[in-house]
Amino acid sequence: MTFGDGVKAAALLFVAAIAQVSIFSQLHVLGAVPDVLLVSLVAFSLLRGSVGGAVGGFFAGLLVDTASLGTLGLTSLVLTLAGYWIGRYGETTGRDRAHAPFLSVAVVTVLYQLGLLVVHFVLAESAPAGAVVRSLIPAIVLNLILTAPLYALVRRLLRPVQREELSAEVQLLG
Amino acid sequence: MLASSVQRSKPTPYPSKARSALIRRSVVAVLVLVALTLITIAFRSPTSGALHSVQGAGSTALRPFQIAATRVAQPFRDAYDYVDGLANARAENKRLKAINQELRKDAILKNEARTKYPQLLKLVHFVQALPAYPQDYRALYTEVDSFPSGPFTHSVEIARGSSTGVRMDSPVVSGDGLVGIVSNVYPDSAVVTLIDDRDSFVSARDLRTGVRGGIVPGSGGTLQLSDVPKQKVVHKGDIIVTDGTHSARYPDLYPFGIPIGRVSTFGAQDTATSLQVQVQPYANFGSLDSVAVLVPKNPGR
Repeated sequence: MTFGDGVKAAALLFVAAIAQVSIFSQLHVLGAVPDVLLVSLVAFSLLRGSVGGAVGGFFAGLLVDTASLGTLGLTSLVLTLAGYWIGRYGETTGRDRAHAPFLSVAVVTVLYQLGLLVVHFVLAESAPAGAVVRSLIPAIVLNLILTAPLYALVRRLLRPVQREELSAEVQLLG
Repeated sequence: MLASSVQRSKPTPYPSKARSALIRRSVVAVLVLVALTLITIAFRSPTSGALHSVQGAGSTALRPFQIAATRVAQPFRDAYDYVDGLANARAENKRLKAINQELRKDAILKNEARTKYPQLLKLVHFVQALPAYPQDYRALYTEVDSFPSGPFTHSVEIARGSSTGVRMDSPVVSGDGLVGIVSNVYPDSAVVTLIDDRDSFVSARDLRTGVRGGIVPGSGGTLQLSDVPKQKVVHKGDIIVTDGTHSARYPDLYPFGIPIGRVSTFGAQDTATSLQVQVQPYANFGSLDSVAVLVPKNPGR
């Protein structure tokens, strides 16, 4: 990842984090909130791999925790793991698959919510499992709606890595 | 043929992934460790310390961006509210007429009670030594900067802090009713824990019948008036307000008389010893734009 890419990624995640905390967190639909930051992070991680995803997740989580005056490090922890995992998926199985962003967003939405639930539970904070489970389907739907435009935007902003550079698979023929 | 080795092109590593798996895992491990360290420090000293100060400064630095984002979104919110208002105007009109009718009845009852009120106040409350709501409180009006996101958070961030007089445990109200209490203070911002938070408890009373209980979070965004004995009487639509202080030795955080909500349903199971009273809060915790922090005019009282 180049320096320019890093700056663009930082700007993207910064804007997404601020928009999430200030605007999207007010949009409650059937108990769920659309997560523009998570979808942006997934798009970024798919395009830039696991290390970029982990660092981006940590940075984005820190911004969210600071802006919302939440427990510092809590969102960072979950988003770091989410970014890393999606980055690995992007580096290996998911690359060049058209459905990868949608599948990643759907899976990460569930894992992110469950991850937050576990961390809140461990910290003896409010961890309403019932409410989280009920809001999962609406959350997935909302995030999937955001996926196509945001992925296109992030892809436009961060040039996808060249195909020959990506080729880490063994070619048996031709 | 089968025994001969197949020539394979040498795989080119993934660009940012030219680093070894060890480095990749080390980066993640370090980030996770840093996150865990931050959580530990924040958890051990949530209201003071160096990290608290750094977070406060960071929040102050981010506020202009949050305000800008809110302003950008405001026209869209206004448009949505306008369309939503038009769509619900008929139902709203019907609801307001019903409320108006109830308020008329309340006004008649209140006129009756007004004459007895000063004597009852002396008997029931020891408020002479404590500030009374609203006359002894100063309202610090402020915008809400961030909102509860998802089911985990039941707090909001407000744009006033200790530098403008906000103190820990100050009650917070909106134009509709009680919102919560200040649970963390930074120089230029503060965190308000909402009354639908799991750890929140507000001593409350039914204004009509005088029945007392505690307001705790209920299901589906409602509140519950707990610990109401089964033999007590409440009515649907009764106004629930904060109960205030009864013993000068144990002053309540909330002064008497802040409206909380209305009784929406009530009932009791055969085996239960207390009534289940559901309260619909006046304040809409999901769309708080601005609130007022109540600070005693004379803190020494």
